[in-house]
Amino acid sequence: MVEKTTQSAAPPAQNSGKWNVPTGRRTDEWSQALVSVGESQDRAAFTRFFRHFAPLIKAFALSGSSLSATHADELVQEVMLKVWQKAGGFNPEKAAASTWVYTIARNCRTDMFRRLQKFDTPLASDDFELESEEEESFIVLHTRRGSERVRELMGELPPDQAQILAKVYMEGKSHSEAAAELDLPLGTVKSRVRLAIQKLQALMEA
Amino acid sequence: MVKHHPPADFLTEYAAGVLPMAQSACVAAHLSYCQRCRHIVERLEDIGGAHFEQLDPQPVGDSMLDRVLARLDDPEPLRYARSEASDDRLPGLLDRLINGDYADLAWKRVTQSLSISYLKTGDLEHEFALYRIAEGGKIPEHTHGGSEMTLVLSGGFSDESGEYHPGDFIVREGWDKHTPVALEGEECICLAVLDAPLRFTRLRHRWLNPLIKLNAG
Repeated sequence: MVEKTTQSAAPPAQNSGKWNVPTGRRTDEWSQALVSVGESQDRAAFTRFFRHFAPLIKAFALSGSSLSATHADELVQEVMLKVWQKAGGFNPEKAAASTWVYTIARNCRTDMFRRLQKFDTPLASDDFELESEEEESFIVLHTRRGSERVRELMGELPPDQAQILAKVYMEGKSHSEAAAELDLPLGTVKSRVRLAIQKLQALMEA
Repeated sequence: MVKHHPPADFLTEYAAGVLPMAQSACVAAHLSYCQRCRHIVERLEDIGGAHFEQLDPQPVGDSMLDRVLARLDDPEPLRYARSEASDDRLPGLLDRLINGDYADLAWKRVTQSLSISYLKTGDLEHEFALYRIAEGGKIPEHTHGGSEMTLVLSGGFSDESGEYHPGDFIVREGWDKHTPVALEGEECICLAVLDAPLRFTRLRHRWLNPLIKLNAG
C-alpha cells in the first residue's frame, strides 16, 4: 500500500495555479496522442497516454475507498482498453482529453459497482451515450472556451464548495451520501453545489 | 422546442455518475431531445475532468501496461444496434428497454383513460414506467409519497402549472398535488420515474390506492 503524501481527492481550491487550463502544450500533447491512436492505432502514442493516465485512473478508482486494489487494477485495464477502442470518436475541438478519459472511467466504475452488487440490468453505461451529431462550428468554439473556463472556475471556488464537488465527482457520492459523510444537512450540500454551478452558468453565459 | 429541463442538481449528479439507474436513464432520455442540457452536461463533465487531472497519481506497473497492450487486438464487444422496426424518434436507451413497439408491451389499465407499462431497469428503488393517457384523458388528482420525474415522449399534457410536449422534463415532489390532462388530438405517452407509488387524493379514486404498488426493479 502506497502511502498518500498529498491531499486526497479534494485539491486545495485556493491554489488556482495548480489547475491546468487546457490551452497549454501539456494538455494538447494528450489530445494529439489520442488523435494518433484513433487515426492510426499508434501504439507508441497509446503507451505514452497510458503512462500518464493509468496512474490517474487508479487514483480515481481508489478515491472514496469503495474498490479494492484488485478491482482498481481491473478498472485501469478496462478503461485503457476502452480508450483504445473509442479513440476514433474523440474530437479534440469538443472535449479536453482529461474530460474524455474521465467520462469513460466514470462509466466503467459505475458498471463495475453494478456488477459487484449483482445489479441485474439490461443496460450498460455505454447505452447512455448519445449518438454524436455534427455541430455548428460556433458551438464547438463555444464548447472549447467553456471547457477552459470551467477549469479556471475550479481554481476560484471556495474550499467548502470544492470539497463537495470532489466528493461527488471523484468519490462517486450522491448529494445525500456526501451530506452524511461530512455531517452536513442535505440542504447545505445541495446549496453549495448549486452555488458552484450557478457560477459556472454565469461564466457560460458571459 | 423543449421548454422544461431537469434542475441543475440532477444534471450535476448525472454528470458525476451518481444518479440511480432509473433516474439517470430518464435524464439521458431528456438529453437526446435537448441540446441546451447536453451542453450543460458537457461543462459539468469538465468539472470531473478538472478534478480527475488533479488526482494524486497512484503507481501502475509496467506489467499492467503489457497486459493491456496484449489485449489491444481483442475483438471489441458487440454493441447494441437499433432494430429495424424501432421508432427512431425514441431515445436509443428507451428503444432498448422497450425492445419493439409500444403495442407489444404489457399495459395495465388503471382507469378508463390511463394505462401503465412497467419497464425493467434493475433499479430496485425506482419504478420506471410508461404512462399512456388517451387523448384528452385525465389522470385523477394525486400526490406522491416521494419524487416523480416525468418525460413526455409523444403527444402532450397539461396540468395546474403548464403545458408539456415531447422532450419536456418535469419533477414533482411528494407534496405537489396535480391533475395531468392529455392534450386533444393525440394520445400522450410519458416516461415516469417514481420512488414511491402515486396516491389518488379524491374520495372517488382512493379505492385504487391499495391496488397501486411501487413496481421497481
